[in-house]
Amino acid sequence: MTQSLEATFREEWPRAVGILTRVLGDLSLAEDAVQDAFATALERWPRDGMPRSPGAWIVATARNGAIDRIRRERTFARKAELLARLEAVPGDEEADVSSIPDERLALLFTCCHPALAVDARIALTLREVAGLQTPEIARAFLVTESALAQRLVRAKRRLRETGIPFRVPPDHLLPDRLSDVLRVLYLVFNEGYAATAGDVLVRRELCAEAVRLAKLVCVLMPDEPEALGLLALLLLQDARRDARIGPDGELVLLADQNRSLWDRTSIDEGLRVLDRAESLRRPGPYQLQAVIAAGHAEGASPEVIVAAYAALERLDPSPIVRLNRAVAVALAGDVEEGLALIDGIDGLEGYSYLASARADLLRRLGRRAEAAHEYREALALTDNAPERRFLERRLREVAREA
Amino acid sequence: MKYALLVYSDQADWEGVDDDEAARRRAESMPRWLNLFEEMDRVDPHVAGKELVAATEAKVVRIVDGETIVTDGPFAETKEQIGGLFLTTLPDLDEAIRIASLVPAAEYGSLEVRPIVER
Repeated sequence: MTQSLEATFREEWPRAVGILTRVLGDLSLAEDAVQDAFATALERWPRDGMPRSPGAWIVATARNGAIDRIRRERTFARKAELLARLEAVPGDEEADVSSIPDERLALLFTCCHPALAVDARIALTLREVAGLQTPEIARAFLVTESALAQRLVRAKRRLRETGIPFRVPPDHLLPDRLSDVLRVLYLVFNEGYAATAGDVLVRRELCAEAVRLAKLVCVLMPDEPEALGLLALLLLQDARRDARIGPDGELVLLADQNRSLWDRTSIDEGLRVLDRAESLRRPGPYQLQAVIAAGHAEGASPEVIVAAYAALERLDPSPIVRLNRAVAVALAGDVEEGLALIDGIDGLEGYSYLASARADLLRRLGRRAEAAHEYREALALTDNAPERRFLERRLREVAREA
Repeated sequence: MKYALLVYSDQADWEGVDDDEAARRRAESMPRWLNLFEEMDRVDPHVAGKELVAATEAKVVRIVDGETIVTDGPFAETKEQIGGLFLTTLPDLDEAIRIASLVPAAEYGSLEVRPIVER
Protein backbone atom coordinates (compact mmCIF):
# COMPACT_ATOMS: atom_id res chain seq x y z
CA MET A 1 0.00 0.00 0.00
CA THR A 2 1.37 3.41 -0.85
CA GLN A 3 2.07 5.96 1.83
CA SER A 4 -0.77 8.28 0.92
CA LEU A 5 -3.30 5.48 0.53
CA GLU A 6 -2.31 4.11 3.92
CA ALA A 7 -2.57 7.55 5.50
CA THR A 8 -6.00 8.06 3.97
CA PHE A 9 -7.15 4.69 5.25
CA ARG A 10 -5.94 5.45 8.75
CA GLU A 11 -7.64 8.82 8.71
CA GLU A 12 -10.95 7.63 7.23
CA TRP A 13 -11.29 4.34 9.11
CA PRO A 14 -12.52 5.72 12.47
CA ARG A 15 -14.73 8.28 10.75
CA ALA A 16 -16.47 5.65 8.62
CA VAL A 17 -16.66 3.02 11.38
CA GLY A 18 -18.12 5.66 13.70
CA ILE A 19 -20.80 6.74 11.25
CA LEU A 20 -21.80 3.17 10.38
CA THR A 21 -21.80 2.07 14.03
CA ARG A 22 -24.14 4.91 14.87
CA VAL A 23 -26.52 3.81 12.11
CA LEU A 24 -26.27 0.03 12.54
CA GLY A 25 -25.91 0.02 16.32
CA ASP A 26 -23.24 -2.68 16.04
CA LEU A 27 -19.50 -2.15 15.77
CA SER A 28 -18.80 -5.53 14.16
CA LEU A 29 -21.34 -4.99 11.39
CA ALA A 30 -19.99 -1.50 10.80
CA GLU A 31 -16.43 -2.73 10.69
CA ASP A 32 -17.25 -5.46 8.16
CA ALA A 33 -18.92 -2.91 5.89
CA VAL A 34 -16.02 -0.46 6.12
CA GLN A 35 -13.48 -3.25 5.63
CA ASP A 36 -15.26 -4.25 2.40
CA ALA A 37 -15.27 -0.64 1.22
CA PHE A 38 -11.53 -0.40 1.86
CA ALA A 39 -10.93 -3.61 -0.09
CA THR A 40 -12.86 -2.12 -3.01
CA ALA A 41 -10.86 1.10 -2.71
CA LEU A 42 -7.61 -0.80 -2.74
CA GLU A 43 -8.69 -2.39 -6.00
CA ARG A 44 -10.09 0.71 -7.71
CA TRP A 45 -8.18 3.75 -6.49
CA PRO A 46 -4.80 2.78 -7.91
CA ARG A 47 -6.53 2.06 -11.25
CA ASP A 48 -9.09 4.91 -11.46
CA GLY A 49 -7.30 7.47 -9.31
CA MET A 50 -8.25 8.76 -5.86
CA PRO A 51 -11.86 9.96 -5.56
CA ARG A 52 -12.34 13.66 -4.98
CA SER A 53 -13.58 13.08 -1.46
CA PRO A 54 -12.10 9.79 -0.19
CA GLY A 55 -14.06 9.99 3.06
CA ALA A 56 -17.43 10.34 1.33
CA TRP A 57 -16.49 7.58 -1.10
CA ILE A 58 -15.67 5.17 1.75
CA VAL A 59 -18.86 5.99 3.67
CA ALA A 60 -21.06 5.66 0.56
CA THR A 61 -19.42 2.40 -0.53
CA ALA A 62 -19.63 0.95 3.00
CA ARG A 63 -23.28 1.96 3.21
CA ASN A 64 -24.14 0.38 -0.15
CA GLY A 65 -22.21 -2.76 0.78
CA ALA A 66 -24.03 -2.98 4.11
CA ILE A 67 -27.40 -2.66 2.35
CA ASP A 68 -26.49 -5.55 0.00
CA ARG A 69 -25.18 -7.63 2.84
CA ILE A 70 -28.28 -7.12 4.99
CA ARG A 71 -30.66 -7.78 2.08
CA ARG A 72 -28.93 -11.11 1.44
CA GLU A 73 -29.01 -12.05 5.09
CA ARG A 74 -32.36 -13.76 5.63
CA THR A 75 -32.13 -14.23 9.36
CA PHE A 76 -31.64 -10.63 10.38
CA ALA A 77 -34.39 -9.90 12.90
CA ARG A 78 -34.22 -6.14 12.40
CA LYS A 79 -33.65 -6.25 8.65
CA ALA A 80 -36.25 -3.65 7.64
CA GLU A 81 -35.24 -1.30 10.42
CA LEU A 82 -31.52 -1.52 9.60
CA LEU A 83 -32.17 -0.95 5.89
CA ALA A 84 -34.30 2.09 6.66
CA ARG A 85 -31.59 3.50 8.86
CA LEU A 86 -28.92 2.95 6.22
CA GLU A 87 -31.05 4.90 3.75
CA ALA A 88 -30.37 7.95 5.91
CA VAL A 89 -26.63 7.77 5.14
CA PRO A 90 -25.58 9.57 1.95
CA GLY A 91 -25.03 7.00 -0.80
CA ASP A 92 -23.42 9.62 -3.01
CA GLU A 93 -19.69 9.18 -3.44
CA GLU A 94 -19.22 12.90 -3.92
CA ALA A 95 -21.29 13.92 -0.89
CA ASP A 96 -19.89 16.33 1.64
CA VAL A 97 -18.84 13.96 4.43
CA SER A 98 -18.42 16.86 6.83
CA SER A 99 -22.21 17.23 6.87
CA ILE A 100 -22.45 13.88 8.68
CA PRO A 101 -21.90 14.18 12.45
CA ASP A 102 -18.41 13.19 13.56
CA GLU A 103 -18.82 10.02 15.61
CA ARG A 104 -15.15 9.46 16.40
CA LEU A 105 -15.53 10.65 19.98
CA ALA A 106 -18.44 8.25 20.61
CA LEU A 107 -16.28 5.51 19.09
CA LEU A 108 -13.40 6.35 21.41
CA PHE A 109 -15.60 6.43 24.54
CA THR A 110 -17.16 3.10 23.56
CA CYS A 111 -13.79 1.46 22.98
CA CYS A 112 -12.60 2.69 26.39
CA HIS A 113 -15.74 1.65 28.33
CA PRO A 114 -14.87 0.42 31.84
CA ALA A 115 -16.92 -2.77 31.33
CA LEU A 116 -14.17 -3.94 28.96
CA ALA A 117 -10.89 -5.37 30.25
CA VAL A 118 -8.04 -2.85 30.04
CA ASP A 119 -6.20 -4.97 27.44
CA ALA A 120 -9.34 -5.06 25.32
CA ARG A 121 -9.81 -1.28 25.58
CA ILE A 122 -6.26 -0.69 24.36
CA ALA A 123 -6.55 -3.14 21.47
CA LEU A 124 -9.98 -1.85 20.39
CA THR A 125 -8.88 1.78 20.57
CA LEU A 126 -5.82 1.12 18.43
CA ARG A 127 -7.83 -0.91 15.92
CA GLU A 128 -10.96 1.22 15.62
CA VAL A 129 -9.93 4.75 16.51
CA ALA A 130 -6.29 4.77 15.43
CA GLY A 131 -7.08 2.52 12.46
CA LEU A 132 -4.07 0.24 13.03
CA GLN A 133 -4.16 -3.22 11.49
CA THR A 134 -4.39 -6.28 13.72
CA PRO A 135 -0.84 -7.52 12.88
CA GLU A 136 0.63 -4.10 13.74
CA ILE A 137 -1.06 -4.10 17.15
CA ALA A 138 -0.06 -7.72 17.78
CA ARG A 139 3.60 -6.86 17.06
CA ALA A 140 3.51 -3.87 19.38
CA PHE A 141 2.20 -5.95 22.26
CA LEU A 142 4.27 -9.04 21.50
CA VAL A 143 1.28 -11.32 21.14
CA THR A 144 0.38 -13.51 18.19
CA GLU A 145 -1.96 -12.15 15.56
CA SER A 146 -4.53 -14.80 16.33
CA ALA A 147 -4.43 -13.99 20.05
CA LEU A 148 -4.96 -10.31 19.29
CA ALA A 149 -7.72 -11.06 16.79
CA GLN A 150 -9.42 -13.16 19.47
CA ARG A 151 -9.11 -10.32 21.96
CA LEU A 152 -10.81 -7.98 19.50
CA VAL A 153 -13.58 -10.45 18.69
CA ARG A 154 -14.31 -11.00 22.38
CA ALA A 155 -14.34 -7.26 23.06
CA LYS A 156 -16.77 -6.61 20.22
CA ARG A 157 -18.99 -9.44 21.40
CA ARG A 158 -19.04 -7.94 24.87
CA LEU A 159 -19.95 -4.52 23.44
CA ARG A 160 -22.94 -6.09 21.74
CA GLU A 161 -24.05 -8.61 24.36
CA THR A 162 -23.85 -6.42 27.44
CA GLY A 163 -25.31 -3.31 25.83
CA ILE A 164 -22.30 -0.99 26.15
CA PRO A 165 -23.67 2.25 24.67
CA PHE A 166 -22.23 3.92 21.58
CA ARG A 167 -22.13 7.56 22.63
CA VAL A 168 -20.29 10.34 24.34
CA PRO A 169 -21.36 9.80 27.98
CA PRO A 170 -23.86 12.19 29.57
CA ASP A 171 -22.53 14.89 31.91
CA HIS A 172 -22.87 12.92 35.14
CA LEU A 173 -20.64 10.13 33.77
CA LEU A 174 -18.33 12.27 31.65
CA PRO A 175 -15.56 13.09 34.15
CA ASP A 176 -15.01 9.42 35.05
CA ARG A 177 -15.29 8.23 31.48
CA LEU A 178 -12.96 10.88 30.14
CA SER A 179 -10.38 9.81 32.67
CA ASP A 180 -10.84 6.20 31.49
CA VAL A 181 -10.17 7.36 27.91
CA LEU A 182 -7.12 9.38 28.91
CA ARG A 183 -5.79 6.44 30.89
CA VAL A 184 -5.98 4.18 27.82
CA LEU A 185 -4.05 6.75 25.76
CA TYR A 186 -1.49 7.08 28.56
CA LEU A 187 -1.07 3.27 28.66
CA VAL A 188 -0.61 3.13 24.89
CA PHE A 189 2.07 5.80 25.13
CA ASN A 190 3.81 4.09 28.03
CA GLU A 191 3.82 0.78 26.26
CA GLY A 192 5.75 2.50 23.48
CA TYR A 193 7.91 4.59 25.79
CA ALA A 194 8.86 2.26 28.62
CA ALA A 195 9.64 -0.49 26.09
CA THR A 196 9.56 -3.55 28.31
CA ALA A 197 10.76 -5.40 25.21
CA GLY A 198 10.27 -5.51 21.49
CA ASP A 199 10.80 -3.75 18.22
CA VAL A 200 11.95 -0.12 18.49
CA LEU A 201 10.11 1.11 15.41
CA VAL A 202 6.81 -0.43 16.42
CA ARG A 203 7.15 1.13 19.84
CA ARG A 204 7.90 4.53 18.39
CA GLU A 205 4.72 4.13 16.38
CA LEU A 206 2.71 3.48 19.56
CA CYS A 207 3.92 6.75 21.10
CA ALA A 208 3.04 8.60 17.91
CA GLU A 209 -0.44 7.00 17.95
CA ALA A 210 -1.04 8.01 21.55
CA VAL A 211 -0.08 11.61 20.69
CA ARG A 212 -2.33 11.56 17.63
CA LEU A 213 -5.29 10.22 19.65
CA ALA A 214 -4.71 12.75 22.44
CA LYS A 215 -4.76 15.50 19.80
CA LEU A 216 -8.03 14.12 18.47
CA VAL A 217 -9.58 14.27 21.97
CA CYS A 218 -8.32 17.85 22.40
CA VAL A 219 -9.77 18.90 19.05
CA LEU A 220 -13.13 17.31 19.80
CA MET A 221 -13.21 18.37 23.48
CA PRO A 222 -11.22 21.60 23.51
CA ASP A 223 -12.18 22.70 27.03
CA GLU A 224 -11.06 19.66 28.98
CA PRO A 225 -7.93 20.68 30.90
CA GLU A 226 -6.87 17.13 31.72
CA ALA A 227 -7.07 16.09 28.07
CA LEU A 228 -4.82 19.04 27.23
CA GLY A 229 -2.63 18.13 30.21
CA LEU A 230 -2.19 14.59 28.90
CA LEU A 231 -1.39 15.82 25.40
CA ALA A 232 1.19 18.25 26.80
CA LEU A 233 2.71 15.48 28.92
CA LEU A 234 2.97 13.09 25.98
CA LEU A 235 4.51 15.74 23.71
CA LEU A 236 7.08 16.70 26.34
CA GLN A 237 7.98 13.07 27.08
CA ASP A 238 8.11 12.10 23.43
CA ALA A 239 10.46 15.02 22.72
CA ARG A 240 13.15 13.31 24.80
CA ARG A 241 12.78 9.88 23.25
CA ASP A 242 15.96 9.97 21.11
CA ALA A 243 18.08 11.19 24.00
CA ARG A 244 16.97 8.45 26.38
CA ILE A 245 18.85 5.63 24.74
CA GLY A 246 22.57 5.95 24.02
CA PRO A 247 24.45 4.74 20.92
CA ASP A 248 24.93 1.26 22.41
CA GLY A 249 21.30 0.92 23.43
CA GLU A 250 22.00 1.88 27.04
CA LEU A 251 19.64 3.96 29.15
CA VAL A 252 20.68 7.60 29.54
CA LEU A 253 19.33 9.37 32.63
CA LEU A 254 17.74 12.78 32.30
CA ALA A 255 20.70 14.64 33.83
CA ASP A 256 23.12 13.02 31.38
CA GLN A 257 21.04 13.41 28.23
CA ASN A 258 22.33 15.27 25.22
CA ARG A 259 19.86 18.11 24.98
CA SER A 260 20.55 18.71 21.33
CA LEU A 261 18.77 15.39 20.74
CA TRP A 262 15.58 16.73 22.30
CA ASP A 263 12.88 17.54 19.80
CA ARG A 264 12.43 21.29 20.22
CA THR A 265 9.27 21.50 18.08
CA SER A 266 7.57 18.89 20.21
CA ILE A 267 8.67 20.64 23.42
CA ASP A 268 7.36 24.00 22.21
CA GLU A 269 4.06 22.44 21.23
CA GLY A 270 3.83 20.71 24.61
CA LEU A 271 4.48 23.99 26.43
CA ARG A 272 1.80 25.78 24.39
CA VAL A 273 -0.75 23.04 25.09
CA LEU A 274 0.15 23.14 28.79
CA ASP A 275 -0.39 26.92 28.85
CA ARG A 276 -3.81 26.44 27.36
CA ALA A 277 -4.63 23.70 29.94
CA GLU A 278 -3.52 25.86 32.85
CA SER A 279 -5.53 28.82 31.58
CA LEU A 280 -8.69 26.76 32.25
CA ARG A 281 -7.78 26.74 35.96
CA ARG A 282 -8.84 23.19 36.80
CA PRO A 283 -5.62 21.45 37.77
CA GLY A 284 -5.34 17.67 37.63
CA PRO A 285 -2.77 14.88 37.73
CA TYR A 286 -1.90 14.94 34.00
CA GLN A 287 -1.42 18.69 34.03
CA LEU A 288 0.88 18.43 37.05
CA GLN A 289 2.88 15.66 35.41
CA ALA A 290 3.14 17.89 32.36
CA VAL A 291 4.34 20.74 34.61
CA ILE A 292 7.07 18.41 35.89
CA ALA A 293 8.01 17.31 32.36
CA ALA A 294 8.07 20.96 31.28
CA GLY A 295 10.32 21.76 34.23
CA HIS A 296 12.75 19.08 33.10
CA ALA A 297 12.63 20.28 29.50
CA GLU A 298 13.30 23.87 30.47
CA GLY A 299 15.90 23.10 33.09
CA ALA A 300 13.78 24.35 36.01
CA SER A 301 15.37 24.29 39.46
CA PRO A 302 15.04 21.04 41.45
CA GLU A 303 12.91 22.92 44.02
CA VAL A 304 10.30 23.69 41.34
CA ILE A 305 10.14 20.00 40.44
CA VAL A 306 9.81 19.01 44.11
CA ALA A 307 6.96 21.49 44.57
CA ALA A 308 5.14 20.12 41.52
CA TYR A 309 5.51 16.57 42.84
CA ALA A 310 4.18 17.67 46.24
CA ALA A 311 1.10 19.14 44.49
CA LEU A 312 0.71 15.97 42.48
CA GLU A 313 0.94 13.84 45.61
CA ARG A 314 -1.90 15.85 47.18
CA LEU A 315 -4.13 14.99 44.19
CA ASP A 316 -2.89 11.46 43.73
CA PRO A 317 -1.17 10.01 46.82
CA SER A 318 -0.32 6.73 45.05
CA PRO A 319 2.92 4.88 45.92
CA ILE A 320 4.36 5.60 42.43
CA VAL A 321 3.85 9.34 42.85
CA ARG A 322 5.37 9.18 46.32
CA LEU A 323 8.39 7.34 44.93
CA ASN A 324 8.88 9.98 42.24
CA ARG A 325 8.59 12.76 44.78
CA ALA A 326 11.15 11.04 47.03
CA VAL A 327 13.61 10.86 44.11
CA ALA A 328 12.96 14.53 43.29
CA VAL A 329 13.69 15.49 46.90
CA ALA A 330 16.96 13.54 46.76
CA LEU A 331 17.95 15.13 43.43
CA ALA A 332 17.22 18.54 44.92
CA GLY A 333 20.01 17.84 47.40
CA ASP A 334 18.45 16.13 50.40
CA VAL A 335 19.43 12.53 49.71
CA GLU A 336 18.88 11.36 53.30
CA GLU A 337 15.35 12.77 53.28
CA GLY A 338 14.65 11.17 49.89
CA LEU A 339 15.79 7.80 51.21
CA ALA A 340 13.63 8.18 54.31
CA LEU A 341 10.62 8.98 52.09
CA ILE A 342 11.29 5.88 49.99
CA ASP A 343 11.52 3.71 53.09
CA GLY A 344 8.10 4.99 54.12
CA ILE A 345 6.38 3.79 50.94
CA ASP A 346 4.15 0.71 51.12
CA GLY A 347 2.69 -1.16 48.21
CA LEU A 348 5.57 -1.20 45.71
CA GLU A 349 7.08 -4.55 46.69
CA GLY A 350 8.53 -6.23 43.62
CA TYR A 351 8.67 -2.96 41.65
CA SER A 352 12.07 -2.67 40.00
CA TYR A 353 12.16 1.14 40.07
CA LEU A 354 11.73 1.17 43.85
CA ALA A 355 14.85 -0.99 44.20
CA SER A 356 16.82 0.97 41.59
CA ALA A 357 15.86 4.33 43.14
CA ARG A 358 16.90 3.14 46.58
CA ALA A 359 20.12 1.75 45.09
CA ASP A 360 20.92 5.09 43.48
CA LEU A 361 20.37 7.08 46.69
CA LEU A 362 22.45 4.62 48.73
CA ARG A 363 25.19 4.96 46.10
CA ARG A 364 25.08 8.76 46.41
CA LEU A 365 25.40 8.41 50.18
CA GLY A 366 28.45 6.17 49.73
CA ARG A 367 26.68 3.17 51.31
CA ARG A 368 28.02 0.90 48.57
CA ALA A 369 27.37 -2.56 49.98
CA GLU A 370 23.71 -1.71 50.56
CA ALA A 371 23.54 -0.10 47.12
CA ALA A 372 24.95 -3.26 45.50
CA HIS A 373 22.28 -5.32 47.26
CA GLU A 374 19.52 -3.05 45.88
CA TYR A 375 20.98 -3.08 42.34
CA ARG A 376 20.88 -6.88 42.44
CA GLU A 377 17.30 -6.68 43.66
CA ALA A 378 16.36 -4.34 40.79
CA LEU A 379 18.10 -6.60 38.27
CA ALA A 380 16.08 -9.54 39.49
CA LEU A 381 12.91 -7.57 38.76
CA THR A 382 13.39 -6.30 35.20
CA ASP A 383 13.76 -7.89 31.76
CA ASN A 384 14.22 -4.59 29.93
CA ALA A 385 17.59 -4.92 28.18
CA PRO A 386 18.76 -1.25 28.25
CA GLU A 387 17.71 -0.94 31.88
CA ARG A 388 19.53 -4.15 32.77
CA ARG A 389 22.74 -2.92 31.13
CA PHE A 390 22.47 0.33 33.04
CA LEU A 391 21.91 -1.45 36.37
CA GLU A 392 24.73 -3.90 35.71
CA ARG A 393 27.14 -1.05 35.00
CA ARG A 394 26.19 0.70 38.22
CA LEU A 395 26.44 -2.56 40.15
CA ARG A 396 29.99 -3.09 38.85
CA GLU A 397 30.93 0.46 39.90
CA VAL A 398 29.67 0.16 43.46
CA ALA A 399 30.99 -3.39 43.82
CA ARG A 400 34.44 -2.25 42.66
CA GLU A 401 34.57 0.69 45.01
CA ALA A 402 33.09 -1.20 47.97
CA MET B 1 -31.54 -4.50 26.05
CA LYS B 2 -33.08 -6.86 28.57
CA TYR B 3 -31.22 -7.32 31.83
CA ALA B 4 -31.56 -9.52 34.89
CA LEU B 5 -30.46 -7.73 38.04
CA LEU B 6 -29.66 -10.46 40.55
CA VAL B 7 -29.68 -9.41 44.18
CA TYR B 8 -27.13 -11.18 46.37
CA SER B 9 -26.83 -10.93 50.11
CA ASP B 10 -25.45 -12.86 53.03
CA GLN B 11 -28.23 -14.83 54.69
CA ALA B 12 -26.10 -15.21 57.81
CA ASP B 13 -26.71 -11.53 58.48
CA TRP B 14 -30.33 -12.42 59.25
CA GLU B 15 -29.71 -15.50 61.35
CA GLY B 16 -30.66 -15.09 65.00
CA VAL B 17 -32.27 -11.75 64.22
CA ASP B 18 -35.56 -11.47 66.13
CA ASP B 19 -38.76 -10.19 64.55
CA ASP B 20 -38.49 -6.72 66.08
CA GLU B 21 -34.96 -6.25 64.81
CA ALA B 22 -35.93 -7.58 61.36
CA ALA B 23 -38.88 -5.17 61.23
CA ARG B 24 -36.63 -2.31 62.30
CA ARG B 25 -34.09 -3.09 59.57
CA ARG B 26 -36.80 -3.36 56.94
CA ALA B 27 -38.36 -0.07 57.99
CA GLU B 28 -34.95 1.57 57.89
CA SER B 29 -34.25 0.58 54.29
CA MET B 30 -37.86 1.07 53.14
CA PRO B 31 -37.47 4.64 51.84
CA ARG B 32 -34.61 3.53 49.60
CA TRP B 33 -36.60 0.56 48.27
CA LEU B 34 -39.54 2.86 47.54
CA ASN B 35 -37.22 5.24 45.76
CA LEU B 36 -35.87 2.31 43.72
CA PHE B 37 -39.36 1.10 42.75
CA GLU B 38 -40.39 4.58 41.71
CA GLU B 39 -37.28 5.01 39.56
CA MET B 40 -37.66 1.54 38.03
CA ASP B 41 -41.28 2.24 37.17
CA ARG B 42 -40.22 5.44 35.51
CA VAL B 43 -37.49 3.89 33.32
CA ASP B 44 -39.31 0.60 32.62
CA PRO B 45 -43.03 0.34 33.48
CA HIS B 46 -42.87 -3.40 32.65
CA VAL B 47 -40.15 -4.22 35.14
CA ALA B 48 -40.71 -7.45 37.07
CA GLY B 49 -39.19 -7.99 40.49
CA LYS B 50 -39.43 -10.92 42.89
CA GLU B 51 -38.06 -11.62 46.32
CA LEU B 52 -37.05 -15.21 47.00
CA VAL B 53 -37.59 -17.22 50.19
CA ALA B 54 -34.35 -17.81 52.10
CA ALA B 55 -31.85 -20.05 50.31
CA THR B 56 -31.87 -22.37 53.34
CA GLU B 57 -35.34 -23.46 52.18
CA ALA B 58 -34.16 -24.31 48.67
CA LYS B 59 -33.92 -27.80 47.16
CA VAL B 60 -31.24 -28.68 44.64
CA VAL B 61 -32.22 -31.16 41.94
CA ARG B 62 -29.71 -33.09 39.83
CA ILE B 63 -29.88 -36.13 37.66
CA VAL B 64 -26.95 -38.45 38.24
CA ASP B 65 -26.76 -41.63 36.13
CA GLY B 66 -30.42 -41.26 35.27
CA GLU B 67 -31.46 -40.97 38.92
CA THR B 68 -33.02 -37.81 40.34
CA ILE B 69 -31.11 -36.64 43.39
CA VAL B 70 -32.66 -33.98 45.62
CA THR B 71 -30.57 -32.29 48.26
CA ASP B 72 -30.93 -29.31 50.54
CA GLY B 73 -29.19 -26.35 49.17
CA PRO B 74 -27.77 -24.53 47.68
CA PHE B 75 -24.21 -24.60 48.90
CA ALA B 76 -23.43 -23.71 52.45
CA GLU B 77 -19.91 -22.57 51.64
CA THR B 78 -21.00 -19.72 49.37
CA LYS B 79 -21.51 -16.74 51.60
CA GLU B 80 -23.80 -14.66 49.39
CA GLN B 81 -27.00 -16.17 48.00
CA ILE B 82 -29.52 -14.86 45.50
CA GLY B 83 -32.28 -13.19 47.48
CA GLY B 84 -34.27 -11.79 44.60
CA LEU B 85 -34.17 -10.59 41.04
CA PHE B 86 -35.46 -7.97 38.65
CA LEU B 87 -36.12 -8.43 34.95
CA THR B 88 -36.06 -5.15 33.09
CA THR B 89 -35.57 -3.56 29.69
CA LEU B 90 -33.15 -0.64 29.71
CA PRO B 91 -31.36 1.40 27.04
CA ASP B 92 -27.83 0.23 27.85
CA LEU B 93 -25.34 -1.14 30.35
CA ASP B 94 -24.65 2.28 31.90
CA GLU B 95 -28.33 2.60 32.80
CA ALA B 96 -28.48 -0.99 34.11
CA ILE B 97 -25.50 -0.25 36.38
CA ARG B 98 -27.11 2.97 37.59
CA ILE B 99 -30.36 1.18 38.48
CA ALA B 100 -28.47 -1.69 40.14
CA SER B 101 -26.61 0.82 42.30
CA LEU B 102 -29.96 2.13 43.58
CA VAL B 103 -30.89 -1.29 45.03
CA PRO B 104 -30.32 -1.03 48.80
CA ALA B 105 -28.85 -4.55 48.85
CA ALA B 106 -25.89 -3.19 46.83
CA GLU B 107 -24.74 -1.65 50.12
CA TYR B 108 -24.77 -4.79 52.27
CA GLY B 109 -24.62 -7.44 49.53
CA SER B 110 -24.04 -7.13 45.81
CA LEU B 111 -25.91 -6.78 42.54
CA GLU B 112 -25.13 -8.82 39.48
CA VAL B 113 -26.08 -7.24 36.16
CA ARG B 114 -26.66 -9.99 33.58
CA PRO B 115 -27.79 -9.18 30.05
CA ILE B 116 -30.50 -11.57 28.83
CA VAL B 117 -29.92 -13.39 25.54
CA GLU B 118 -32.32 -12.21 22.86
CA ARG B 119 -32.84 -14.22 19.72
